[in-house]
Amino acid sequence: MDGETATGTESWEDCMLAPVDRLRLERADSPTPGLVEGTEPGAGQRSAMFVQAQSFEDLTSEAEEEAQRSAAEENPEGPDEGEYKVQNHDFSSDSRTKEEDVSSEAWRSHKKHVFVLSEAGKPIYTRYGTEEALSSTMGVMMALVSFVEAEKNIIRSIHADGCKVVFLTKSPLVLVGVSRTSQSDKELLRELQYIYYQIVSLLTLTQLNHIFQNKQNYDLRRLLAGSEYLTDNLLHRLERDPGLLLSAVTCLPLASCSRDAVSSSLQAAKAKNLVFSILLAGDRLVTLIRKKDQFLHHIDLHLVLNLVGSSSSFREGEGWTPICLPKFNTSGFFHAHISYLEPASELCLILVSTDREDFFNMSDCKQRFLERLSKRCAYQSLKEALKCPTYPVSQVGIPDLRHFLYKSKSSGLYTSPEFPDVYRSGQEQERLMGLYQDLHSCLHHPTRPLRSFYRCGETENLLAWVTSGFELYLCFSPLASKASAVAAVNKLLKWIRKEEDRLFILSPLTY
Amino acid sequence: MLMISPKMASGVQEKQYTPCLLSFFIYNPTFGPREGEEEKKILFYHPSAVEKNEKIRNVGLCEAIVQFTRTFCPTKPAKSLHTQKNRQFFFEPEENFWMVMVVRNPMIEKPNKDGKPPTIEYQEEEILDTVYGAVVRQCYCMYKLFNSTFGRAMEAGGVELLIQKLEKFFYRYLQTLHLQSCDLLDVFGGISFFPLDKMTYLKIQSFVNQVEERLSLIKYTAFLYNDQLIWSGLEQDDMRILYKYLTTSLFPRHSEPELAGRDSPLRPEVAGNLLHYGRFLTGPTNLKDPEAKFRFPKIFISAVDGYEELHLIVYKAMSAAACFMISASVELTRQFCEQLDSLVGPQLTLLASDICEQFTINRRISGPEKEPQFKFIYFNHMNLAEKSTIHMRKTASVCLTSVHPDLMKILGDINCDFARVDEDEEIIVKAMTDYWVVGKKSDQRELYVILNQKNANLIEVNEEVKRLCATQFNNIFFLD
Repeated sequence: MDGETATGTESWEDCMLAPVDRLRLERADSPTPGLVEGTEPGAGQRSAMFVQAQSFEDLTSEAEEEAQRSAAEENPEGPDEGEYKVQNHDFSSDSRTKEEDVSSEAWRSHKKHVFVLSEAGKPIYTRYGTEEALSSTMGVMMALVSFVEAEKNIIRSIHADGCKVVFLTKSPLVLVGVSRTSQSDKELLRELQYIYYQIVSLLTLTQLNHIFQNKQNYDLRRLLAGSEYLTDNLLHRLERDPGLLLSAVTCLPLASCSRDAVSSSLQAAKAKNLVFSILLAGDRLVTLIRKKDQFLHHIDLHLVLNLVGSSSSFREGEGWTPICLPKFNTSGFFHAHISYLEPASELCLILVSTDREDFFNMSDCKQRFLERLSKRCAYQSLKEALKCPTYPVSQVGIPDLRHFLYKSKSSGLYTSPEFPDVYRSGQEQERLMGLYQDLHSCLHHPTRPLRSFYRCGETENLLAWVTSGFELYLCFSPLASKASAVAAVNKLLKWIRKEEDRLFILSPLTY
Repeated sequence: MLMISPKMASGVQEKQYTPCLLSFFIYNPTFGPREGEEEKKILFYHPSAVEKNEKIRNVGLCEAIVQFTRTFCPTKPAKSLHTQKNRQFFFEPEENFWMVMVVRNPMIEKPNKDGKPPTIEYQEEEILDTVYGAVVRQCYCMYKLFNSTFGRAMEAGGVELLIQKLEKFFYRYLQTLHLQSCDLLDVFGGISFFPLDKMTYLKIQSFVNQVEERLSLIKYTAFLYNDQLIWSGLEQDDMRILYKYLTTSLFPRHSEPELAGRDSPLRPEVAGNLLHYGRFLTGPTNLKDPEAKFRFPKIFISAVDGYEELHLIVYKAMSAAACFMISASVELTRQFCEQLDSLVGPQLTLLASDICEQFTINRRISGPEKEPQFKFIYFNHMNLAEKSTIHMRKTASVCLTSVHPDLMKILGDINCDFARVDEDEEIIVKAMTDYWVVGKKSDQRELYVILNQKNANLIEVNEEVKRLCATQFNNIFFLD
């Protein structure tokens, strides 16, 4: 049993797109030497973070601004502070409407609260309401954490009927989730980890540590103001996107010859400091080329997807933004060139470079890619494929099957049909996702993992199956029998095998 | 409890510790609201040797957790706190009275080389909240059975009396908690019923009626055979806790004389009484003894106007036991006990052998017993009926199960799943050890089956469970 348990209990963090040990080795030589200190994202402003680099002047002014801000940050109590607040004010007003009475029933009954605070108990983020109004609540949270810590113990969670509070201490931050969902503690922790990485991706851990070492009492909101919508969006994704649950991404269905053509065009557009190039169609991966020996962690990829999907500003031109990929290296920034292939297109190209001065090189890469792409008429077939980015479950031809998730463990990719009418509404979609999350946490129980799980209820029947090679989650009509469920698994696996070169990226390329 | 794990191949010996009780306390935050008076809040604290400030600190943490949770759910109080090293369970049985049980997570101690202190690894996912939450509630019910509510003690003699009662009861009761063997059955807290044919059942009923008629002091009667219930005149919830007391505490303490045989010195009273095997399990051990005291334990059961205080007489002949409850306002005399002994003793002895005979006949009809391919637990929320083929006979100290603890925990996980949604459900899982576990919830009934057919598929497992339902529960409908 031991061997089996080992595969079954592998934590979600380990399911990366690359072997762990290899990645650790690469962490040693950071891809961004010299960028660790004094560089920070344009977190203070939404527009500054995603520079619309139309001209060279735009770029340099951005750099100056950064320099200024880093100076200010080293001396947070300096005279610049007043100026800061004024700057930030503009953005907080338009970015979110958070005014909510935090003692009201409406506020309490939100399905999931997320709070981020510093170890000094200072509010950094709240999903609902304002941080100011919640500062005493967060103070209590921190008090609980430190009280238990003082006993050389670690607080994990509090449980009440229908409500649980989960704590995650990631020095120098503390994250707290309050949930009315049926999700397991582990699922909630996973979500908090994502939020933690989201914040690290904006600042780097080195900088985060540096800030709080200098001033324990620092109000991190000053640096993060204007970026809260990224966290909001990420939380929304966590409720809807099976990819975050499965630690995987999904691909745009595309004939393999077309995908290979697109991939090789992208591969040909290489540059010295280019580490990853990612072509997306909405939230779906078209292709991903990486530098040989460099691997992208699925969490990092989801953070990139969240960044791109959360902002419309990239549509207006070529964006150039620093981003830390925390699973790759928590201490340094990459620089991402983000642009859509055409203004109205869903196709978004992300070129990740190690050099902050690389904007024009990246821009040039994009041009070369576009030229090649149109020459090989792959662009046309790609655009065709965009018209049907999903498929209905009826294509599989199993009458009682409503929906499924299939993840290939080795590639870290998954496929899933569109939601059928029964689950079309947002609420129903979240309910189905909740059911999948339950199955997922049962199967991946830290000490009692399961091989398979079948649940027959009043609204649907569910079947989940984990092997060393794949994970499969199926949702059937409540009238489906067990025999039909067993038959469906075989039929579905055959269908996926038949369609695999369209649904997955079978031959990923490297530079 | 300490177990030495068999992993000794490397020469390094790992020590494995099962969950254990770290502390148990009862407090009322309204009793010491001012600073410096915190100690007054504490009504009971085990272990009592703990330093005062630490007690106050630990109670303070519980208060903080409860208060903090109210920020988010003002109506539903906190039930448990999970930490790396332990779990704390909170229960507010009466307004402002909080009972807290702290259980240490199981842990593995790995010795280090070079004289370094051993590494301790806490197993944080082993304890099931539902199980230990139920244990705390059970603690309260047991206290209430013998002492009535906290509120009543307060009325009768203020905080001092309450503290005294708590001290007296929990000091002994906590020693009987065997936290390492708690499982799903504690969640159910059910009653095992003795299956009986109609004739024998009527015989018992007429016996009960006759005794109640002849000894009119008797208000309620309960009849058990083989630690299983046959007849009860009490309300379900009262019977449930009384049953728990009888089967886990009273009966196991008195089982030795029966096993010892007639000539054993363990049963001296038999010598003078060859007419029957009846004897008192509570009250006088030997009626012939001129020094005998006729004091019986008092219990409290629910009544229309609060509670009712009763003498509990438990009288046993062979495997049959009858509980007679008499209003506490009546004083019980030697004469009454002799009357009861001479009336009940011979009849109960006869009934016991009747039931035994019936039972063996039925067993013979149902065919020779062979080790079945499955084991199951059944519970009915409506009549609290429970049946388990997983648990061996319960003794005072341990509850033995015949399956791996991990499988028992999977049953517990499925039970939590069922508790979340109020609808009929069926869950079939395959564990990493290839055992199949099936859970069915239908109406108010729950059935859990463990199948040892490792190569079976979902359809075969389903067929097997269907067969089981047909043979064991032929009149019960389960969602397919």
